[in-house]
Amino acid sequence: MLRELWAARALLVILARKDFYVRYRRTVLGVIWAVGVPLVQAVVLAIVFTHVVGIGRTYASSQQAYAVFLYSALVPWNYIANAGPSASTAIVDNVALAGKIYFPRALPVLVTAASAIYPFAIGIVLLLLMSLVVGSGVGVSFLLVIPGAALAVLFVVCVGLCLSALHVYFRDIRYIVMAALSVGFYVTPIIYPLGKLHAHHVLRDLIAIGPGSGPIEIFRAATVGSDSALALAVSACAAWCVAFGGIGFWLQCRRDRVFVDLL
Amino acid sequence: MSASKPEPVISLRDVSKRYVKYDDQPMLANALRFRARSRRSTLLAVDTMNLDIAAGESVGVLGRNGAGKSTLLQLLCGVTAPSSGVVSVRGKVAPLISVGVGFHPELTGRENVYVNGTILGMSSAEIDRRLDSIVEFAEVEEFIDTPVKFYSSGMFVRLGFSVAVAADPDVLLVDEVLAVGDFAFQLKCFARMQEIRAQGTTIVVVSHNINVVRGFCDRALVMSHGQKVFDGPTFDAISEFYNVVGREAKEDAFGAGELADHGAVIESLTLHNVGVVEPVLHFDSGEMAALRLRVRATSDIANPVMGMTITTESGTVVYSDTNLMTPFPALSNGEVAEYETRLALSLPGGGYLATASFHSAAGGNSVLLGRAVPVTFYVSARSLASGVADLGGTFHRVSS
Repeated sequence: MLRELWAARALLVILARKDFYVRYRRTVLGVIWAVGVPLVQAVVLAIVFTHVVGIGRTYASSQQAYAVFLYSALVPWNYIANAGPSASTAIVDNVALAGKIYFPRALPVLVTAASAIYPFAIGIVLLLLMSLVVGSGVGVSFLLVIPGAALAVLFVVCVGLCLSALHVYFRDIRYIVMAALSVGFYVTPIIYPLGKLHAHHVLRDLIAIGPGSGPIEIFRAATVGSDSALALAVSACAAWCVAFGGIGFWLQCRRDRVFVDLL
Repeated sequence: MSASKPEPVISLRDVSKRYVKYDDQPMLANALRFRARSRRSTLLAVDTMNLDIAAGESVGVLGRNGAGKSTLLQLLCGVTAPSSGVVSVRGKVAPLISVGVGFHPELTGRENVYVNGTILGMSSAEIDRRLDSIVEFAEVEEFIDTPVKFYSSGMFVRLGFSVAVAADPDVLLVDEVLAVGDFAFQLKCFARMQEIRAQGTTIVVVSHNINVVRGFCDRALVMSHGQKVFDGPTFDAISEFYNVVGREAKEDAFGAGELADHGAVIESLTLHNVGVVEPVLHFDSGEMAALRLRVRATSDIANPVMGMTITTESGTVVYSDTNLMTPFPALSNGEVAEYETRLALSLPGGGYLATASFHSAAGGNSVLLGRAVPVTFYVSARSLASGVADLGGTFHRVSS
């Protein structure tokens, strides 16, 4: 399985590039869409939570600092929210190609995870600029975004391997993923910091072991400072990766040549 | 296997492919009613098949729709695994199944060549080297940097075919792709395929177009209901294929009232070479054939008459005739008789249907006594002639 995937690496690169080109071709703003939307989202959330709901100020020193705080979570979260659903349905979505020619069926999962890396990288650059301009500046700790991003990609790949295989059998997966993401936005520390939940230890720990918290906590550590639950969140995310990845890899090995009969 | 025989490139040992069909979705509602798995049926698409194909052979696969041809091809290119048995294919396999797999309309011709070429197993260095010849072969030089959605359908398939044949595989699997583009391009494809064949590439052709199978293959298989029912020289295979088609058509038509007794029973309708007892279903264009009708009278028939019609597979009547004006001698109840129509099959290559009916003539009119189930047969082209009839054209230069 791994050997076959390695043999297909050239195909992976070219399909990811194609995916990416096709997505933004013939749009006037191109890849700006990929990073502009979360940027606007961060600004709007910052204004709403600072002035309307009035909690932003309790989490950050200023509206601008709260915006940086939000954007540092939105960059990895949006990668997961964009690549996750398409990775989870990748095998079924590639039926046209799969019925004609053999390639490891896990390949489209990697392709969707890889093609979303480029806007993810631009998002990270914007995060750097934002921290420098309106935030409190950055230090060497900003380099933590690299393991943070790697963890996010690994997580999407592991979840994708597992869910895309299950999705062949249970088409409900698509809707389960959408539901999990919309709930996930609130039960993942995006609009609030984990540390503010110190009064509710159980709740804080539950949220920290949510699968999306790991990469977000690393991004927070890289920009606005680390949280007490960082280690817990990261090790929980790694555990999710092992669980999803293990089951996913096993399913992909076992069912590789059978999927196409069920599409 | 004798020592002189080369090791097969493709070998199938007792290969079966079974599909499980779920007639109802595994939905929660059904699971709650404890009947989620109640309606499950299996379909045996390929049934204990054995096959050896040596390096450099080109083999055709013939069969009606649903005979298992496409599944066989999917097994050969590894898209799907056999339910039991062993499929082994040595070397690089390139499927020439539906042209332009992975082509994206928004990408330019050049980008699509790279994507498609990589899918077919070429490295980007190989594509770099072959790009010019691919583009030249497809005749799309001026449009190579235009998104393919602006291509004519002809340009699209030409480019797809060019990439596929440039992949330079050890085994080429061909499925219904040669009928692409205009006539000139088809000839070019045909020539390119012959070249590939001459290089020693093993070719497996699955096609409804018997001309293609006949043009490329020395050997052909006939499949029916997932089983290999014939494996041998292409000419005989085509005859056997029409035999299978005829038999299955008869199974389909049985009970449809066509064989009802109106005073005579049609026992058989067969095609023969003139004076030969064994029936055949494959003729060369221009050859003499005998359409033989065997009848058993179930009443006294004063003026028996035979009618016959030849149609193309699409239903156009090519020829129809009857001996209404000169009936056969009278038949008495219970008598069995055999009649034949001799025909010069001056037809372009292709599949045809022959049918016959049995009548009793009464003063210039006729009463239908029985109608035979059509026989499907194949005529091999003498040349590239096409149309309704083969008028036997020859080509000469007359001016000096």
